[in-house]
Amino acid sequence: MAEETVDQDIQDLRDQFLNREFDEVTFEIDGTRFAEYAKVCGETATKFTDPGDPDFQAPPTFVSTLVGGRSMPPDFPNLGGMGMDAGKLVEWKAPVRDQATLTGRSHLHDIYTKTGRSGRMVFLVTRMELYDSDGTHVANADTRTVIRERPRG
Amino acid sequence: MAESIPTVNAIADVEFGGELPAFTPDTSIDATRRFGQHVGWNTPRFTDHDGARKEGLPGAIVPGVMSQGFLGAMIHRWAPTAEIVTIDTVFRAPVLVDQPHKITGVVTDIDEDELTVEIDLTVTNEAGETRVFGTATAKLPS
Repeated sequence: MAEETVDQDIQDLRDQFLNREFDEVTFEIDGTRFAEYAKVCGETATKFTDPGDPDFQAPPTFVSTLVGGRSMPPDFPNLGGMGMDAGKLVEWKAPVRDQATLTGRSHLHDIYTKTGRSGRMVFLVTRMELYDSDGTHVANADTRTVIRERPRG
Repeated sequence: MAESIPTVNAIADVEFGGELPAFTPDTSIDATRRFGQHVGWNTPRFTDHDGARKEGLPGAIVPGVMSQGFLGAMIHRWAPTAEIVTIDTVFRAPVLVDQPHKITGVVTDIDEDELTVEIDLTVTNEAGETRVFGTATAKLPS
């Protein structure tokens, strides 16, 4: 299998920024908020929609709605194009309960490129690791931002 | 009368290549306003067609995090006992508010040792254009 090549400027960004924590934020989880999220998204299971259910918990995708203080390291360079939200990934590890206090710690998890007819696109994957007050790792929430580079010259 | 949806309760119920029951998510302006009020993303591009047009959009759009929630709900409606382990969502194009959309899903892998299934999920508009694509891994009882 051919080895994947990485552009040198991207490799430099990877070396400088990947896996370096740049943000920490605390979330007080409100069960009424995630129950409304569940209902408007079409969930029907009472464990997601009814605070009276003994297993009441947030739908796994709810953690994508938790927004950190910043999405990029403060010293990350401006890549010159407009950033757009290209996607979200959730890794669920344990239930998120009503009135939980979660700590979200963010780092850049990946930087990669795709090149098409209109030029190069840079993808930045910001991962927020979420822990409850016992230190249990409950979820990872990734945001994939794509930057379409402006043509040079 | 309540909608009847065939459900899966154990991994033995799942067939490779099987399709999940199609799901029609609520993409109405009332739904995005309710999402905005209770969850967030309460800005005109999501809750007001005229406001969204002023931003250069064809109309209000459904927040990406809400579309991801639709995909999770679809899995749970199909398999109420499923635990979603990972769900990856690619926002290919905006989901326009007040436009009908449909979500389809297909089982692409079954791991009976790990008790997991992989599912591809696609949100399409009335023209059949893919707006959001997702891949999920879910754990099911034996």
